[in-house]
Formats: sequence, structure tokens, C-alpha cells
Amino acid sequence: MTFRKLYLVVICLVCQFALAQKDSVNYLDVVKISDTQLKNFSNSQSVLKLNDSVIRKNQSSLTSLLNYNSVIYFKENGLGMVSSPSFRGTTAQQTAVVWNGININSQLTGQTDFNTVGTKDFNSIAVRAGGGSVIYGSGAIGGTIHLNNELNFNQKLSNEIRVNYGSFNTFAGNYKLSVANEKVSFQASISRNSSDNDYDYVDSKSKNLNGQYHNTSFNTAFAYKIDTNNYLKLYSQFFDSERHFSLIFPSETKTKYQDVNTRNLIEWDHFSGRFTSKVKAAALSEKYKYFGDVSSDFYTYGEVQTFIGKYDLVYDAGNGIKINTVLDYTQNKGNGSDISNEKRQIGSGSLLFSHQVTSKLQYEASLKQEATNNYNSPLLYSIGVNYEIADFYRLKLNGSKNFRVPTFNDLYWQPGGNQDLKPESSYQAELGNDFHFKDFTLSLTGYYISIKDMLRWVPKGSEWSPVNTNKVRTYGGEVLASYTKKLGQHQLALNGTYAYTISEDMEMKKQLIYVPYHKSTAALAYNFKKFSAAYQFLFNGEVFTRSDNNSKYNIDSYMVSNVSVDYDFGKNNTYMLGFQVLNLWNEKYESVESRYLPGRNFNIYLNLKF
Amino acid sequence: MKKLNSIFWAFAVSSLFLISCSSDDNNVPDVPLGAYDNGLFVVNEGNSTVTTASITFISNSGQVEQDVFRTVNPTAIGTGTYLQSLFFDDTRAFIISGDANKITVVDRYTFKFIATIDTDFDSPRYGVVFNGKAYVTNAVDFTPGGNNNFVTVIDLSNYSTSKVALNRTAEKITAENGKIYISNGYYGVGTTVSVFNPVNNTIDKVIELGYVPDSFEEDNGVLYVLGSKIAKINLTTNEMIGAPVALPAVQNDAKNLNIEGGKMYYTVDTSVYAMSENATTAPTTALFSYVSNSDFGAMYGFAVNGDRIYIADGGDFSSDSKIFTYTLTGTLDKTFNVGVGPNGFYFND
Repeated sequence: MTFRKLYLVVICLVCQFALAQKDSVNYLDVVKISDTQLKNFSNSQSVLKLNDSVIRKNQSSLTSLLNYNSVIYFKENGLGMVSSPSFRGTTAQQTAVVWNGININSQLTGQTDFNTVGTKDFNSIAVRAGGGSVIYGSGAIGGTIHLNNELNFNQKLSNEIRVNYGSFNTFAGNYKLSVANEKVSFQASISRNSSDNDYDYVDSKSKNLNGQYHNTSFNTAFAYKIDTNNYLKLYSQFFDSERHFSLIFPSETKTKYQDVNTRNLIEWDHFSGRFTSKVKAAALSEKYKYFGDVSSDFYTYGEVQTFIGKYDLVYDAGNGIKINTVLDYTQNKGNGSDISNEKRQIGSGSLLFSHQVTSKLQYEASLKQEATNNYNSPLLYSIGVNYEIADFYRLKLNGSKNFRVPTFNDLYWQPGGNQDLKPESSYQAELGNDFHFKDFTLSLTGYYISIKDMLRWVPKGSEWSPVNTNKVRTYGGEVLASYTKKLGQHQLALNGTYAYTISEDMEMKKQLIYVPYHKSTAALAYNFKKFSAAYQFLFNGEVFTRSDNNSKYNIDSYMVSNVSVDYDFGKNNTYMLGFQVLNLWNEKYESVESRYLPGRNFNIYLNLKF
Repeated sequence: MKKLNSIFWAFAVSSLFLISCSSDDNNVPDVPLGAYDNGLFVVNEGNSTVTTASITFISNSGQVEQDVFRTVNPTAIGTGTYLQSLFFDDTRAFIISGDANKITVVDRYTFKFIATIDTDFDSPRYGVVFNGKAYVTNAVDFTPGGNNNFVTVIDLSNYSTSKVALNRTAEKITAENGKIYISNGYYGVGTTVSVFNPVNNTIDKVIELGYVPDSFEEDNGVLYVLGSKIAKINLTTNEMIGAPVALPAVQNDAKNLNIEGGKMYYTVDTSVYAMSENATTAPTTALFSYVSNSDFGAMYGFAVNGDRIYIADGGDFSSDSKIFTYTLTGTLDKTFNVGVGPNGFYFND
């Protein structure tokens, strides 16, 4: 009912505005990325954009990229193993990963394993902190990670090959082809990562056993200009991986995990006067197989096919006002060895409004209502202001309500799935201060999040079943800083982040386990002509491993540094050869108890661009 | 009078000495065989992290020492995670880690590390010693009704191992009357007890109960088997004695049979029930109940020994938890802090 009402309201608004007059629109800017809301409706929040050159300088897993370049904390079960983020002190299910505008968190577990996402297939990766459920749906509480393929229509043909080989027989290869003219833009890439991952633990006779992994991905993005007002775009990704899960004691049973993900998105962008419409259809699939004993062929599995239909209409009303409506229909069909064969359908309508009142003042407001018979979905909303108080100082304020919906496992696990669950929901607010001086930018953000109805599995009789239980509140502050300096042919860039996080269970009044109070990163890059050097630094504060915060069992804080140097031998093309040392100071560290990460290790890399 | 009085006192005092002398002569004093004699071990199952798996020692005088294995053996390799249970022979204690597929052997009185046994295990559960060998059940992948379960036979002179297939679920295990008895129930499936012959490592007999066994204990030549009913098995004939005593429907999930002083004690959720060995009907009211805030660890461990009932509360499996002792009439006696997820009591007297 609510959904239908909302739909009518949306249609009425649209009809009204259809009569308004035309204005100029930069079509190509809209066509460039599929996730337009990241640009248009994220002005009152903190967005950290990691461009191609940052992506290139980092290891190929999303864990590594974000661990060294953002405030997000990672809990990694050993290098390359299961990796769960905690963004602003929230759970792994409360951070959404968004691929070209589509939320790709697993329908089965509700989270993304950040070691199963490669970074090299994307031209830009953005970290949008804070609530985003109106736009990005379930799990956008701590924040959202945006994986984007940018499509340009400037004439080019380029081939890029990146190969990296190093310790523990670790290989990373990536080939990317980009072709574009004024009618067509096309990118295709293939990536392969593999490692024996049998590193020795620092200061110990033990080594990482059964940690080998490999993964392969294919990625394409394509845009075709039909005429001035119509563009057709296609995005697709295929990701296939197998990981053995490393052991703590050599006599443990060896296990492994395979997963295959496919993602396809077709989009038609149509420009007509003040209207920009995007019609999207997406088909996603995820499938995993878990082998509880690698010596046996027996496995358990789960799979979900998702179909999404989306209609996204932006109306530029002039006077700095933009109105965006999004209608979305999502269908998930899941089955598996432990879940019943189920189909779920979710419809939603969103209304987003943004108003540039003066050149200095802008505000935005949005709301969304879902309709589904699987759970009671709350009205979600977001409201924010962005005000330039001085040339060098901008203030941002945002408040929102967001959610994380029950997963297929929560609803349909056999036995125990509970079809009477509410989504986890959050009220949150943040205040951001952006300072911009000549070569220096600084952003200071404070936030508060209150989350209720946290989903947790507890036994009911002899069966386990999920229920809505705890309340959690998290608050803290984030600092993002960057400095760049050019002196003749010398170029220097310094980036840093720091997060202070309090995340406490409201019942126990204790800090959640595996949420550090402090996390900091720093990156220094130096270029001189064709030579470049980079230094990366990560500090992770100690974390509790016990719910009663018994500090005897804390995991110690750690500081890890990486350093790289490279030289480009090419004249017109790039022929870059580089050398990298990871964990330069040979720190003995672990992010999960007894899951040590590697000591000092080395790799060489070759980047060719022609 | 005064003299008489002093004679009386002299006599009284000397007789005291005499009595104490004779008492000393007759009873060999219980000289502790190590720091961990005369007390009980609590196995703290822990979670997936290494430091949560621990053993707590509580002496008979009530002194508590946490994490005794790591304290005594700081450089030894750990016991493994998810400690399942512990069993003894005369001099040794055997600590089973379900996840690490291994048994850590220590001196039962000093807790000094002796050896690690890590061959021929796949999710080991419970063990028992008979005639120089240990017999350990293995749940493999925990499939209810799993016919791939097996018994690991360990030669305790050299810790060599071998596997004996059981072709049915293998859970609790006990040695009585020259035979090894294995309960075949797990998670609502399997309704038998197997009689295993340690002479030739074969199954002599499979006793059909008609219900799923949870636990069993022997007393006076009879094996009492608890599930939704209580059966008695004659250990000479391996036949059931009469029909099993049915428990009331609300007690279907009965667990933790313990026998002490001719009485059977068992638990249902957070309640303790007691009935005579010879009773033909089960009690409908509990002896007592305790309050647990644990979502999935209420009554996680239970034992009756001497004049005390022991209850372990699993807590949240992410922080240290507690055990409680009660008198046999159900009055709370003492509370002790232990480790993470306590699941069993092992008395070392």
C-alpha cells in the first residue's frame, strides 16, 4: 500500500515537472558513470575517491587498497583469507559494496568478503562514509564502497599490462584494453591473482599452512552513443576464485572455498530537455561451494540469482534544483544445501531532492520506501546541507535513517531460518568540516550512529535461529588530509587518515570486539621525472577479543610499512619496472588472534602501457 | 578434686594424641602428587581463537587457578581450539581438541606436557582408557546419523594410533566390565548403544533403545542410558532390563545423566532433576533451577560428585564465564570464575 501511494506521488511530481523548461546538461558527464548519485547526492557526506594511480600503487585486493588508504578497519583471517570490514565501528554486513551503482553484498551472508574483490578492473574506487540506504539499499550504514568503470568518449586506444611477482610465489597479472572514439567507448580487462601463500610467521618456527588461493576475473564496460540524446551501456564482470582456508594447528582439517560471481548490467540513458532518464536492468549471480575437508568431494553450497530493474529519472528544475526519482524492482532466487528454494521480491520507490540555493549553500533530502512481504521495511530518509562558510572552509551536515535487511540465510536456513524478522535499522548523523588551502586539504568529520534490532543467531530448543536483539551505538571522528607540492620536476604527495571509534553494545556497555579505538594510515609519494617512490604506513590500535573487554587477551597494536620504487624506461609509452618491499620493518602482527600476517616480503612489477 | 581433675585432663589430652596417632597410622596421609591433585579441572571449550581454550583448576579447598596448561607449559604448542573433553588414566590426563584433531597428553597431577597425539582423528569427541589403550570417538563431519564415524585406538605406551570404523554415530564412550560402550545418538538421530570388544576391536552387539541417547553412566553392573527415556542395560548380558522409564514430554531434551549415591541426576534446560535408580516413574518437578543469561550455553556442563552438584554456564563464549556448586538439595554453595565456554568437570582425587 505504502509503496503504491509513494509511486503515485512520484508520478504526479514527474508530470508536473515535465512542463518545465529546458536547460543545458552535460550529457557526457552523466554517461561517464552509472552511479550518478555518488556525484549528485553525496554532497553532505565525506567521499574519498581513490583514482587509477592510487589503485595501481596498491596490492590488488580491495582489503589491501582500503586498509592502507582509508579509515576502514579490516579483520583478516590471514593474508588473502576471509576479510571483514568494520567501517565506523559497524559490522561487516553494515558496509555495502556497490558495483557501478548496484549493491553487490552477498544475499546469503549480507556482506562482501573484501578479499574476493579485485581492484585492478576499475578506474575509480570511492569510499562514501555514512548512511546511504536510500540510494544504495541494505547495509549502507557504516558507509559504501563504490567500484566504478568510467567511460569516456575521447579518442583513444590503449593497452595496459601490469604484472607483479613476488614472495610466496605470489602472482598478480592484469591486462586492460581501452578503445574509444566519439561514438563508442569500450574497456575490457582480465585479471589473475594466485599465491602459494605459505609464508613463515615472524619469529616463529610455524608457517602459514593451507593458505593457497587463486582467482580470475573478466571485466567489460561498453558505451555506445546512439544519437545526441541516447546512449546504451553495458557492464559485465565475472569473478571466479578458490581459496584454501589456512590452519592454526597443522592437524586441523583442511578446508577450501570456491566462489563464482557474475554481474551484468545494461543501461539506456536518455536525455530530453530537462529530463535525464536511466533505464537499467541487471542480472547478478553468486554461488559458493564449501569443502569441509579438501580430501573429500563433499561440499555444501548456496546460490542466488538476482534480477534488478531500475528506472532512474532526474529532472533539472532550474534554479539549482534537481529532483531524482528511482523505481526499483529486485527479485532474488536462492537455493542451496542448507537453504530452502525461495524467491523474494522487493519493490521500492525513492525520491531525491537537491537544491543549490546559492553558490555557497546547497542542501539535499531524500526518502525511500520498500515494499516486500519478506520483512517490514521502514521508511528510509536522508537530509543534508553543504555550506561554504569561507573560501577555505566548508561545513557539511547530514542525518539519515538506514537499514540492513535479513539475508537469505537468516530467512530460509534449514532448519532455523526465521521469516519473522525486522531489518537492522540505524539513525545516524554526522558533521563534516572541509578545509582547503593552497596545497593542503583537510577534512574533519564527527558522527553518531545508533543501531537497533541487530540480527543474531541464538538457539531455540535444539535449533539455531536468528532474532532481532542488541542495540549498538557507535560514534567517533575521522580525519582525512592530503598535501601536494610541485617544485620543478619534483612532485610530492602526502595523504593521511585517522579514525577514532567508539562502538559499544548498549546492554553490556563495552566496546565491541575487533573494533580498534585508533586507526591511521599515511602514504607519501614522490616523483622526479620518470622515477617515483612511495611509502605506505598503517597503524592499527589494539583491539579487544573478549566481549567483557578483558585486556589481557587484546591483540596488540601494529605498525606496518610498505615501500616501492619504480622507473619508467619508456619515451612515449610506459615501460615501468618497479620493486616493492611489503612489511618493511618485518613487524610481527595479526588482525585476528593466531592468524599472523607475513613478515617482510618482496615483489617486482612491470607496467606497460602502449 | 583438683588432682583428679588434672589427671582427667592429662588422660583426655593423651587420649587425644593417641587417637590422632592411631588415625595417622591407619590412614596413609593424602600427600598431593602434584600441584593439581585433590581438586577438579574445568574444561573451557573456548571459541575459534587459541587463547580462549583453557583448563581451570579448582582445589578441594576452593582455590582457583586459571589456564593451568599455559601456566605450566608456556613454551609447549597449544592444546588446540574448541576443547571438547578430557579423560584420565592413572598418571596422565588427555585433553581433546575437536577442531585441531588432536589430544594433548599431560601429567594429571603436575600438568606437565608429555606428548601430542595428532594422527587418526577427525573431530574427536570423548575418550576412555582400558587396559593400556585409549579409545576415542570421532564425529567426522557431524552429520546426524553419520555412518562414517569411527573410534581411534591409541596405544598409550607409544601413542601410536589406529582407526576402527563404527558405521554409525560415535559420541559418549565408557569402559565397563571388559567392554567399551559407545552411545550412537547425535542431534536427534541414532537410537542405539554399541558394545565394542577391545580384544579384537569389533562390535559385539548393537543395543536398540528406541530413543536417542544423550548420556550414560554405570552403577552396580547396570548401564543407565538417558534420552527422552531412561533405559537400564545389564552389563553381563547386554540386554535391557525391562522397558525404559519414559520422561514427561516436557523433559524430552533431557541431558547429562550422573549417578551419585543411588540417585540419578539429569538436566532439562536450566533445571536439575533427581530420581532414584529404582524409580519407575520420572519426577515432574525439578530439584532446582538456576538462572542463565547465556543465549546458547545454559547448563553447558554438569556433574554430581560427592555431596555437590556442579553447573557450568557457557556465558557468551566471548568472555570468561562461571561455574556454580550446589548442595544435593539444591542450595547454592559457591560460584567460581572460570574460562570461556566451560563445558565439563573432571575430578582429580
